[in-house]
Amino acid sequence: MNNNKIPIFELIYVIVNYGLGSKVLQKAKQYGISGGTIFLARGTVTNSLLNFLSLYDEKKEIVLMGIDSQTANCALVELNKEFQFEKQNKGIAFTTSACNIVGSKCFNSKAFKEDGGVNKQMYQIIITIVNRGKAEEVIEAAKTAGSKGGTIINARGSGVNETSKLFSMEIEPEKETVLIVSKKDITDSIVSSIREKLEIDKPGNGIIFIQDINKAYGVYE
Amino acid sequence: MNVIVSKFKEVLFSVLPITVMVIILNFTVVPIEQVLIIRFLIGSLFVVFGLTIFLIGVDIGITPLGSLTGKSLAKTNKLWLVLIVGLILGFFISIAEPGLMVLANQVNLVTFGQISGISILVIVSVGLAIMLSLGFLRIFYNIPLYKVLIVLYLIILALSLFSSREFLAIAFDASGSTTGILAVPFILSLSVGISMLKKDSNASEKDSFGLVAIASTGAIMSVLLLSMFSNPEEFQAILNPKLSEVNSIIGPFIMIIPSYLKESLMAILPLIAILLVLQKIYFKLKKREIRKLITGFVFAFIGLLLFLIGVNAGFMNVGTILGNNLALLDNKIYIIVIGFILGFVTILAEPAVYVLTHQIEDVTSGYVKKKVVLFPLAIGVGLAVALSVIRILVSEIELWHYLLPGYIISLILMFFIPKLFVGIAFDAGGVATGPVTATFILAFIQGAAQAFEDADLLVDGFGMIAMVAMTPIITLELLGLVFAIKSKTKGVKKGNE
Repeated sequence: MNNNKIPIFELIYVIVNYGLGSKVLQKAKQYGISGGTIFLARGTVTNSLLNFLSLYDEKKEIVLMGIDSQTANCALVELNKEFQFEKQNKGIAFTTSACNIVGSKCFNSKAFKEDGGVNKQMYQIIITIVNRGKAEEVIEAAKTAGSKGGTIINARGSGVNETSKLFSMEIEPEKETVLIVSKKDITDSIVSSIREKLEIDKPGNGIIFIQDINKAYGVYE
Repeated sequence: MNVIVSKFKEVLFSVLPITVMVIILNFTVVPIEQVLIIRFLIGSLFVVFGLTIFLIGVDIGITPLGSLTGKSLAKTNKLWLVLIVGLILGFFISIAEPGLMVLANQVNLVTFGQISGISILVIVSVGLAIMLSLGFLRIFYNIPLYKVLIVLYLIILALSLFSSREFLAIAFDASGSTTGILAVPFILSLSVGISMLKKDSNASEKDSFGLVAIASTGAIMSVLLLSMFSNPEEFQAILNPKLSEVNSIIGPFIMIIPSYLKESLMAILPLIAILLVLQKIYFKLKKREIRKLITGFVFAFIGLLLFLIGVNAGFMNVGTILGNNLALLDNKIYIIVIGFILGFVTILAEPAVYVLTHQIEDVTSGYVKKKVVLFPLAIGVGLAVALSVIRILVSEIELWHYLLPGYIISLILMFFIPKLFVGIAFDAGGVATGPVTATFILAFIQGAAQAFEDADLLVDGFGMIAMVAMTPIITLELLGLVFAIKSKTKGVKKGNE
């Protein structure tokens, strides 16, 4: 046991078509994952006919599950068999590292990562949070830099001074969160493309952060 | 193609039950002429395709417009503006509603012209517009829905004491007719749009629903008021809906195209006007967005047209014949049971029901599932139809014998259920009364009423829509009760109260 605190927990993201989220979660439970959170999102469509008909939003569900690496890897393999992520339009699944997970009893805290070198971190996830209505621009910007698409989650939140009041309602500005999975070598160009197009560096225009992905299934080249 | 295929499947599975049911009836209890049954099947095809296209249109055009409008209104932060815009929106949506026009004409007819169709149309629209504005205020000022509803229904109760029984039926039917196929998705998304802005997500869930309910009480109150002031004394029975004698299969489909073309256009025009005006002065959407909305409107229009043609040419006659033949059978149990089943399966094909259930899933992030809502809703409508049939069979039962206890129960139940369900339940009442109910089920009931000498078509024929608007409220509130009890036994704090 070395002193290097290698992350021993993983967050599994599974992005599937609308309606499949609960099934993924059920299956995952069979493989030892204690629970998860599902949220609604929408993805982008590349089909030109659908684009012509303005049907470019596709409803998705994202399942977020946290578990120790070992279980995560096994579960992912099984989930991949079950849901066939490598086929087109079946969804994607990937994991990112988490330092610790609190609040779930099922974790075996002694689980340590045994071989840190096996998972070549080929992919990264770029998470961009922008004001409502800007998500499509983010994805457009990402596409020009070589990304294949993204998933949008409606969200709301506020910076330091943004909460306001309309009539008697407390209002929080609406945001959109964009998840984009990209290959490591083009991450930088995608990020800079988004930064440029959306002027992220100006205050109030949004934030971007990037996480490493340990394993990914169903991401296309 | 995922989007289209999945929508199509969803629609197919909800139109299939009613189709299968009618075919089964055809081969067992009530044989129907071959021409009619073929027409019915073609009608079903129209309905499936029409509904698919319509719902896609609602998804990308009408719902986004509604929530945009709601949000923009809230963001103005000006009370007078909200009130005025609410009035204008409510008035134009309602006055263009095809269902309301039909009702207005009927009222004109049964009162010997003492109450003109136009006056009903205008008065109901004004009523709805006022209540829509008040509904906005309720959301903005966080006034609990159940308090508002109690006050409103007490007013209705008081008013209905002074009105004739014919008008009671017309008033409650009017509330069902105004909340039509396009108005419901639009009004629903208006409130969801506003509520999404709220910081407190519990409040936001609760306040997403209820606007349809409040708006439709406006229609009831205005008709009741009208009847008090005009006080017509004579009534004549409405003309029996004529069975079309045309023996061709395609003929009826072509014959009704012009009138439904007009109807669909009328229904969609106010929304297009709203979009264009607001885009000019407020939204300033990007080209891509505006293109999407307009494409959605085109879809909604085409879908609506196909759907209405299918329902009216294919379903209506079959409904009348089913009702008529079943009522003539000696064993009256048949018509009651079959009425229940027909109600149960038709509601699944009702367009606004989709919009509501999807909206519920969205707002609760999938916590309240579509199927969970559909089942009680269908039972509710089934009950409504069965009860309406009983009312025709037993002439001593009057409409208010159902409505009064029904609304009392639904008002009392409000206190015991999570507040989210109050909104959902009362909205569902308005949602359930769409074009399928108004044609197929209404035809069924009127067909049954024709079979009886002593059934008064006015009193028995009207009022069915009122029932369909009421029973789902109760069944959905019971669903809320189940949710409340379940989450208590699990020891999970829902915090919805």
